[in-house]
Amino acid sequence: MLVSILNGFAIGFLLFILAVGLSLVFGMMDVLNLAHGALFLGGAYLGAQFAGDGWGGFLGALGIAAVAGLAAGGVLSLMTEPLRRRSHLDQALLTLGVALVVAELLIIVFGDDPLAVPAPPGLDGSVAVFGATYPAYRLVLIGFGAVLALVVHLVVDRTRVGALVRATVADREMVAALGVDNRLVKAGVFAVGSLLATTAGVLGGPVYGARPGLDSTILILALVVVVIGGLGSVRGALVGALIIGQVDTLGRVLLPDLASFILFAALAVVLVVRPQGLFGTAVAR
Amino acid sequence: MTEHPTITRRRLLALFGAVPVLAACGSSVGGGSGGTSGGAKAIKVGLVVPQSGVYAALGTDMQRGWDLWLEQNGGKFGDYTVTTVVADEGETPQTGVPAVQKVLQSDGVDVVVGIVNSATALGVADTLKESKKLLIVTNAGAGALTGKARTPYIWRTSFTNAQVSAAMGAHLAQSGFKDGVFAIAPDYAAGAEVIAGFTKAFEAGGGKVVGTAKPAFGKTSDYQPFLTQIQQSGAKATFCFFSGSEAITFVKQYQQFGLAGTIPLYGSGFLTEGSVLKQQADAALGVQTTLHYTDQLDNPANKAFVAAYQAKYQASPSTFSVQTADAANVLNRALKTATALDGDALAAALGGVGAVDDSPRGSWTFDGQTPRQTMYLRKVENVNGTLVNAVVQDLGQQSQPR
Repeated sequence: MLVSILNGFAIGFLLFILAVGLSLVFGMMDVLNLAHGALFLGGAYLGAQFAGDGWGGFLGALGIAAVAGLAAGGVLSLMTEPLRRRSHLDQALLTLGVALVVAELLIIVFGDDPLAVPAPPGLDGSVAVFGATYPAYRLVLIGFGAVLALVVHLVVDRTRVGALVRATVADREMVAALGVDNRLVKAGVFAVGSLLATTAGVLGGPVYGARPGLDSTILILALVVVVIGGLGSVRGALVGALIIGQVDTLGRVLLPDLASFILFAALAVVLVVRPQGLFGTAVAR
Repeated sequence: MTEHPTITRRRLLALFGAVPVLAACGSSVGGGSGGTSGGAKAIKVGLVVPQSGVYAALGTDMQRGWDLWLEQNGGKFGDYTVTTVVADEGETPQTGVPAVQKVLQSDGVDVVVGIVNSATALGVADTLKESKKLLIVTNAGAGALTGKARTPYIWRTSFTNAQVSAAMGAHLAQSGFKDGVFAIAPDYAAGAEVIAGFTKAFEAGGGKVVGTAKPAFGKTSDYQPFLTQIQQSGAKATFCFFSGSEAITFVKQYQQFGLAGTIPLYGSGFLTEGSVLKQQADAALGVQTTLHYTDQLDNPANKAFVAAYQAKYQASPSTFSVQTADAANVLNRALKTATALDGDALAAALGGVGAVDDSPRGSWTFDGQTPRQTMYLRKVENVNGTLVNAVVQDLGQQSQPR
């Protein structure tokens, strides 16, 4: 049981890294980025590609994924710019198209065999926790995720840039009226959000592997996290991710018969009780 | 509105035009292939295997097996020169059924060979019945294909899901695990057949299944909750069935969460067959499975087959290659006595081929329309730096469980 809770944290922090970018972009610009899962998968394949080279390979993959994520976010931001006055559906369709193209390109480049990604040396073993055996890499993932969550929280909550981001989420027109080019804010958040997605892909590789179809599985998890946590909220993404992590692992242990839909049951409960998400502000339009 | 009648007329014209043309094609092909006596005889085969999607790797192995057999036999079944038309089965019946219809209707093939997905094989039964053409299934393992939903036009050179797992059920009941085995397989048709076949044979041998789990198929990436369930069940061994990426993840996590050292892992052979074994790496060491083939089999036919396959493709054959090569083998045997190339004549001839004694998997026979074949207990071992499924024990000839 304790191992399941621990594992829920590992999955939860991974989901947080993935979902926080999606949440901020959606909350701020109403852009539903369906290519987010494809970015994650790109990161996972990078991790698989360099996994044989030990720590150097792992850190190298993280670096390349970060740069590629920044660039991809910038491109996506440019692509969605002409559609900013149009409906959610148009933007969703555009990013869905990008997602399909990227997924196909990944298959062309990396093949369609599922790949396993070993953890970096020293972390590929298991350690004893609570009298059970647990993969060492996942423990490190928990620590890393917690640190990253703290950093993102501090940046968004305590810095000028963060204040600008929060202000843009709250009222984009007002920020523009103050003389800030909110296209730049959007591009910046898009780029950092995509960076987090590709980074999560490299970090998640040793847990999920890399295979065609993983992008959509991951995208759905991220969407569930965002909806539960509330749009545009870092704290919401963190709490949502940790809840989903626990529901997904603990739920399967305690209620194995309901395993296949327990995630969506949690989503439904939140939607009924608090449609704006746990930490979202009610949308008044 | 004004255009509507024109289109209808055109369609009608096209229809009337096309039908006699197609019929003419059909009869000319039929006449050219079966009828001519003494002269050059020809048979056209539609090889329908996945070339895209998650099963693409299986499709590659299958086509290689087929091509290799033909190459070694001069591209001929006896007097018949073989023409192969390849079509992409894809992943699901939505792509597989049209692929079979295409080779039957527009390519006018005499026989269809291949099919990975059981739902696709079941989905083309009516088409085959109408066109009276034969299908030799070289993978799809649903029991119903040659059981409840049997038609005379579908034969199989592969296996049934329950046949493979029943062999393991009987073996585990005899090898000291009677007190408790945990059974786990994905929540879909094949998974259910595997578990049912295993449970029936295991319980018939006096064994007790202490728990079962059915992770969502294609949606489970983290097996920790199920691994905890297995540990808590007090099982002495685990029996599982996974393939593709799920096989990789499950075997790796089984080791990472420390179960490999305490609760030995057994499975249906597809758990460690083909390209997944390399990805599972050392986590797969010691895993034991049952299957009707491994490239490690020590018989002359297999040694020759493996050597030729490695020389041609720089890779080891898998059970999928052998199953498809055997389809060519049985067609070759059947055509010695077949009076025509239609489904009825070929089915009658297949019924009389007797023992296929030169198959790499060892000698097997048709029982009903699916193989009665030797099942092998295999164990993943490291031989000179390469992981292989070494033969541990010959579990004897077994038929499709009824």
